[in-house]
Amino acid sequence: MGTAKAWLPWHGSTLLRRTVGVVARGVDGPVVVVRAAGQQLPELPGEVEVRDDEQEGLGPMQGLSVGLHALDGVADVAFCCSTDLPFLHTAFVHRVVDAMDDDHDVVLPMVHGYRQPLAAAYRPSLAVEIDALLAQGRLKPAFVFDRCRVLRLADDALVADGRLAGADPSLDSVVNVNEPADYEQALARPVPEVRVECFGVLARNGHRGPRTVRAATIAGAAQAAGLDFDRHVVAAVNGDALTRDGATPLVVGDAVTFVSADAGG
Amino acid sequence: MPASAAPRVPGGYFGRALAVDVGTGATTVVPLSDRVLRDHLGGAGLGAWLLTELAPTGVDPLAPEAPLAFCFSPLVGTPLTTSAKFAVVAKSPLTGFLTDALASSHFAISGKLTGNDAIVVHGACEQPSVVLVDGAGARVQPADDVWGLPAAEAEAALRARLGAGWRIAAIGPAGERGVRYATVSHDGRHAGRGGLGAVLGSKRVKAIAVRAATKVAPADRVAVLAAARDLRARSLGRATAKYRELGTLANLLAFNALSTLPTRNFTAATFEQAPQLAAEDISDLRKVARNSCASCSIGCEHIYATKGGQTARVEYENVFALGPMCGVSDPDEVLAASARCDELGLDTISAGGTIAWAMECAERGLVDAPWLRFGDGAALLRALDEIGAGTGIGPLLAEGSRRAAERVGGGSADFAPHVKGMEMPGYEPRTLHAMALGLAVNARGADHNRSGAYEADLSGDLDRLDGGQAHVAAAIETEDRAAVMDSMILCKFLRGVFTEPFDEWAALLRPVTGWDVDGAELRATARRIVALKRAYNVREGGPRPTTGCRSVCSASRSRSGPAGSRGWPRSGCGR
Repeated sequence: MGTAKAWLPWHGSTLLRRTVGVVARGVDGPVVVVRAAGQQLPELPGEVEVRDDEQEGLGPMQGLSVGLHALDGVADVAFCCSTDLPFLHTAFVHRVVDAMDDDHDVVLPMVHGYRQPLAAAYRPSLAVEIDALLAQGRLKPAFVFDRCRVLRLADDALVADGRLAGADPSLDSVVNVNEPADYEQALARPVPEVRVECFGVLARNGHRGPRTVRAATIAGAAQAAGLDFDRHVVAAVNGDALTRDGATPLVVGDAVTFVSADAGG
Repeated sequence: MPASAAPRVPGGYFGRALAVDVGTGATTVVPLSDRVLRDHLGGAGLGAWLLTELAPTGVDPLAPEAPLAFCFSPLVGTPLTTSAKFAVVAKSPLTGFLTDALASSHFAISGKLTGNDAIVVHGACEQPSVVLVDGAGARVQPADDVWGLPAAEAEAALRARLGAGWRIAAIGPAGERGVRYATVSHDGRHAGRGGLGAVLGSKRVKAIAVRAATKVAPADRVAVLAAARDLRARSLGRATAKYRELGTLANLLAFNALSTLPTRNFTAATFEQAPQLAAEDISDLRKVARNSCASCSIGCEHIYATKGGQTARVEYENVFALGPMCGVSDPDEVLAASARCDELGLDTISAGGTIAWAMECAERGLVDAPWLRFGDGAALLRALDEIGAGTGIGPLLAEGSRRAAERVGGGSADFAPHVKGMEMPGYEPRTLHAMALGLAVNARGADHNRSGAYEADLSGDLDRLDGGQAHVAAAIETEDRAAVMDSMILCKFLRGVFTEPFDEWAALLRPVTGWDVDGAELRATARRIVALKRAYNVREGGPRPTTGCRSVCSASRSRSGPAGSRGWPRSGCGR
């Protein structure tokens, strides 16, 4: 690619920042980023935990091992994905994570017939099994699936979830960018369509009422709405927590609420 | 120094409080030393000190010997914007603990310029009376002719009788009847929370009238003028735009969008008809004026036209409490209810909260008032009238939701949203976790002015839905800031203009008082004032596990609340 995938620009942000943000919005727990030892990463939210993969050349299995060890005892289920999923949707993350039940250790999407081990949910306790496979030189995720209980979700099972069906019917959440052409093609797609609404004094000067704009981040949505996303303004996505982080990624169907930072009596 | 020399009085003060026994007319001067003033500043802080010193332990708030103090501050009378404020402080008949309500008007300036840093009334009159205080001291005059009048009418009648130089704070019919959330009113403003009007009413004091008789000198007049010019310029910036342009009602739609608009007695956090009450629309259609308090450059007061050609002053809290909280969406009915509260002298938050609780009781068949239904504006007005008149369901509701729930039973205490007996303001604590903690531990009870922890929730710096240790720190910080602002006194609507508030507040105090006070000292002062209020509550029987707000406190997952984080003992200081 010429540039580390983590650093690839993405509509005012980076590919890694976007993926981290979408995963964070899709799960109820910590987010861990696994990097090569010493690798420089773009700016990430302060609550993201960064772990080093000390052993090079072992592929995604080693990254899975480090990430799952970090979450063992912390979370029951981990959504594990690669950096380069520019169209990952929170509804996809929800669908996969929510499918985990007591009878399974992995929820494996089978999108258009292809396994998606790097957009799947795992039990963190599987880290031990993965370590054993790594020790044997068995470096493909497929080996993990032979050793545990896997729930495979084909397209129809995935889009049986109404929210995912509405937001990402063609399951572009798993589209990755391996070549420069993939990246350029992905960049050329329209950014997500989202709804924005301003309140209080921000709604003055013709900004009253909901509007539909295209934006990949909160800062982008503010710009599209004609707002300066400065210290006087905060935003909530889908009525959730308020944030000042303009790099917070948006996905198709989001509703962004802008309020004054001094809201309250 | 000769032994007889008077103690030095700091700039901006008179060094004394005047205590008036309204039963006998006797007055006593309470000396306020430099140390007392520097430790407690004025306003709410000085009030807490006076109450601790002067109130008998365990006194019934409505007994003659219970004192009520009007407390001024060192900034009153200076050109510093928003400084014309005072605190009314007493033991609350609603909570049984300390309550301190602030208000702004020329009453603050005239009251202070009687030559007193505070005016304390105690005792009880044999007949309805007005207490006059001026340079000649205090005296008590009959006021039978204004007993029963709305506060504004009583104020006007007394000014006509006494003359234009007098400023008057009065109670309405609710205070006369001992409604536990009755207000003290003056110039259209209200010292609202905690039932201070009932305390005055129990003394048969319809009004306090004050007349300026002297001047007060700051330590460095030139420096005060410079500071005032600077603060005024900053008060007109973007940080106060919300208050100038739409007023606090701007919160309504934003809170609705964030699921933090308490609705139908906290059974919901959004109100589907909220847009009908939105400032953004009402402002364009109905606004007739914008006013300022005395000595204020912000001008947050938005006056709206009501049905029948009347006008009403509208704030978020009265619209929330009389609108979504009661399920009422007709702006005419909400504005009429707000105006009715003003006439009767009722705290709108507690009135709306208590009526909303009663509406839920009625719908569950726990009270015999089938007419009292959520969404029925006529029923809301009828309930207010009955509270004011002491008829029908009024006497029950006049007790406030906690006491009323104790009488009604049937599990109704489980859905009486209050803290320490004080009804909740318009901040849904289950979606504002720092605020949940601030409300739960606040000395005054469920109150958004002594704990502004919602600032942290709404700042975007903390996750409002996932409370933790940072929320505890935020609750402490906002409580401390409020303690200083309420004691200096400065309007909270200014808070956004300060970047290093304690340092900047100290810089305002220095030229007024002549003290070498700094930000660190003010932080210590804040902690002292907060602790003193809690200590008073403990003395009066607190803490009491009386937070009844639909498991509100469980919304905050913090294991260590402010008591632990402040380093206080776990017992005695939490609630």
